[in-house]
Amino acid sequence: MKLVRRAALPLGAALLLCGAGACSTPAGGSSAAGQVFTTIDGNNPITAGAPMNPFNASGNSFLGYDQMQLGFSKKNPADPNDFFPGLAKSWTADDTGLTVELQPGAKWSDGTPVTPEDVKTSMAIALTQGSATVGAGVLTQGLDVADVKAVGPHTVRLEQVAGAHNIHFPRLVLTQKIVPRSVYGPLLPADVWDTVHASQNPDKGAAKAAQAAVDKLNAVGQKVSAFAPAKDVSAGPFVITRVNPGSAVLDRNPHFYAADKIAPKQVVIRHYTGNEQIWGYLTNGELDAAPYTSMPTNVLNRILKAGNKRVDSVSYVDAAIAFNQSVAPYDKLAVRQALAHVIDREAVTKVAEPVGGTASKTTTGLIQPMVEKWLTPDQQGKLDPYAHDPAKAEQLLKGAGFRKGGDGKWLLPDGKPWTITLQTVNGFSDWISAATVIANELSSFGIPTKPALTADFSTYKKEIAEGKYAVGFWLTALGPQTDAAFQRLYGADDGYTAVGTKVTHSTGKGSGNWQNTATSFTVDGATVDPGALTAKLSTLEPDAQKPIVQQLAAATNQQLPVIQIWDYTNVQFVSGKRFAKFPQQGDNALLANPPGVWMMQGYVQSAK
Amino acid sequence: MKGFLRRLSVRLAAGLVMTAVVATFTFFLIHALPGNPGDAAYEQFVMQGMAPEQARAKVAVIYGFTSHESLFQQYTSYMGQLLRGNLGVSISYSGVPVSHVIASAAPWTILPVLTGLLVSFLVGVTAGVVAAVRRSSRWGGLLSLSGSLMAGVPSFVLALLLAFLFHTLWGLLPFGDTSDVTLTPGLNAAYIGSVATHAVLPVATYALLSYGGWLLSMKSSVVSALGDDFILAAELRGITPATRMRYIGRNAVLPLFTVLALSFGFMFGGSVIIEHIFDYPGLGSLLLQSIGSRDYPLMGGAFLLITVAIVLANILAETLYSVIDPRVRR
Repeated sequence: MKLVRRAALPLGAALLLCGAGACSTPAGGSSAAGQVFTTIDGNNPITAGAPMNPFNASGNSFLGYDQMQLGFSKKNPADPNDFFPGLAKSWTADDTGLTVELQPGAKWSDGTPVTPEDVKTSMAIALTQGSATVGAGVLTQGLDVADVKAVGPHTVRLEQVAGAHNIHFPRLVLTQKIVPRSVYGPLLPADVWDTVHASQNPDKGAAKAAQAAVDKLNAVGQKVSAFAPAKDVSAGPFVITRVNPGSAVLDRNPHFYAADKIAPKQVVIRHYTGNEQIWGYLTNGELDAAPYTSMPTNVLNRILKAGNKRVDSVSYVDAAIAFNQSVAPYDKLAVRQALAHVIDREAVTKVAEPVGGTASKTTTGLIQPMVEKWLTPDQQGKLDPYAHDPAKAEQLLKGAGFRKGGDGKWLLPDGKPWTITLQTVNGFSDWISAATVIANELSSFGIPTKPALTADFSTYKKEIAEGKYAVGFWLTALGPQTDAAFQRLYGADDGYTAVGTKVTHSTGKGSGNWQNTATSFTVDGATVDPGALTAKLSTLEPDAQKPIVQQLAAATNQQLPVIQIWDYTNVQFVSGKRFAKFPQQGDNALLANPPGVWMMQGYVQSAK
Repeated sequence: MKGFLRRLSVRLAAGLVMTAVVATFTFFLIHALPGNPGDAAYEQFVMQGMAPEQARAKVAVIYGFTSHESLFQQYTSYMGQLLRGNLGVSISYSGVPVSHVIASAAPWTILPVLTGLLVSFLVGVTAGVVAAVRRSSRWGGLLSLSGSLMAGVPSFVLALLLAFLFHTLWGLLPFGDTSDVTLTPGLNAAYIGSVATHAVLPVATYALLSYGGWLLSMKSSVVSALGDDFILAAELRGITPATRMRYIGRNAVLPLFTVLALSFGFMFGGSVIIEHIFDYPGLGSLLLQSIGSRDYPLMGGAFLLITVAIVLANILAETLYSVIDPRVRR
């Protein structure tokens, strides 16, 4: 209420002033003189009233600016542990853990040094955020930190739980948020590490106590996520000065370890609620850098005309059509293959994702650059491209017992009419456009198809998991890790749960299995268990993953649990008006990170 | 005075009952929405490379503020807390009190809505009087036409048009925040000017949307008053034109007070669309965001605030009406 009283008078007076012609033009023009870098955080729209806490679900904290990690992933498909240095200057991984050398000049924005104790506090907090698991190491990608010790003023040793050989341990440690002990330490109970150790006890007899410890850690985690610090204390290149309901301003942190590399005096991060706002800001020349947004060609042309430059990099996501194979006739391989031949992926992509999409060459569970990386040319040559070929589709359907009725429409083998409802989500403009084109193509082929919209993604997730949709859109090929990519096809949504090396499979109501893909295929004469192979991928080094990836890609190509339609491209925009030296087209490692990380590497310098 | 206080108490009691009924209705309505707050976050964590089991566990902690009691238990607990003025904690804000989240957004809806309403009322009523008195002239006709046109324009069309013209095409006015974030908030000209410029588009939309209604209602009311016997009698007594206008205005404006209260409610509801289009972070935007994230306590709080505002506005209008028009007291 205090705020209302304080703001009422100024607004009234200001409106009168405005009426008298005292209004100024909007932001954007003033940025140049003040070296203000204006951008949007694609993962974190500003949330009015939310605390400046990186552990809050809506927290106003910005990765690479005021939110720091020990390192920043280069998203290297050949090495998941390939990182840009962050608060860690260097690190060495071994069988039992990780030794991290902190940046010697690293300081918090209040002038105090970043110490191994800050890292220890941060790891304890990370273990309260749902990362702790009973017996630790049972999750293939659990954060299995057993202990954190200072072994020098700037050196810290992180031990992995005894017996756990998690190949992702360095990646998981390096990507945790590092927060000041002075601010977050008081939220942790004094015996937090005892609780962590109790949770990690692998004895079956101690499982109950371990679960109690996990519950205790998670309860602390809730307190941490609800915490509202009085001010931002950052070890990053910037520190939050103010958060407005619609934007945040961060000032350069003079204590940052590489402050000489940081050109902007301030960073303004603007709120957005959808693509249209980002397009508008870009068209008006208000942004120095913008994250990926889906857009039609005319909007792209407008944005480029306004002086923005397009920089593309790899995006490890693909849009696909997924099937619930418990619903006839999608349980038949010939049907899925026929549909793949009917859909003209080039035509669909041209309409639905003309700027940020490349039509999928085929379906493998991976995006095309990953296919080229992991499969030999010979293996790639053997993949069925499922080219647009309605005649082939007709042949496949007839072979499966389907026939055409007198009206030219296809009938199911039992003589009933065959119609398809292709489910998409409200607000996902590219999926909706694609569904319309695909529906036209299938209907012209003789399978009456109508696109259907679910109100929002939350409902879509719930209803698809309940098996309500037979055919719907789905994101696949998530990477760069191959296990993550195949998890989309042979993971939780297909009824698989991996506990350590043990994989269980479930079907039916409440199992979360809506894909209902067969649990074994025969590929080139060999029997393949896709769920077990996918789970195994998480435990292997990249070199050892190769034969499994090749087998799974070939199996996916033959079995078509989904039809991949297009690979996304990470299209970003930068403006040379106020700043220069941006990452270039194809600079995948840098462009996978926010501009704050570019700045730490010496990019984004004044244009003058 | 005693009678006035009695009537006010009755209205306040009725308002409380109305608020409780609406709170009950909205509670069950929002809990009937499918989906849950963690679904979208889970998907985002998986997209960021987190293993599904890990993503699920993380969601359980940071969105763990969802009640696991039965719906009826949640309802009784909600109403009990409400009586003590506690709106609960937000799920999507990981446990931040709903009252805190709403308090940070409410001023940015209340101020533009009130300003827009005031501006449109003053301009519309004045224009309505002119349109009635000069109804045979070209000016009167033009004013009536402008009122008819503005009353027929849907809010989203007007908002999109203003945004396109004044922001996208001419770049004269900003949108997307309440002020330039680089300025220090306080009673300084730069900040005040910035707040004003950022509020112009939503305020203008609110004002233009209701301008037509005021003009046409006032015109009709004045035309009707012009033919009343008391005006004729006053004219025969030889009153001055200014006194005659005062008589007409006072009598004609009375019915508009009820409409004023109702307009306040409608404009509050309309803020959802207008704030979304201008990306103006008030209660409407917050309500949309809370629906998208299935944040039931926040949705309930936002709906409740809007309900209370409408109920209070109605009580105020009825009370003022009885003060202004003695006939109502009988």
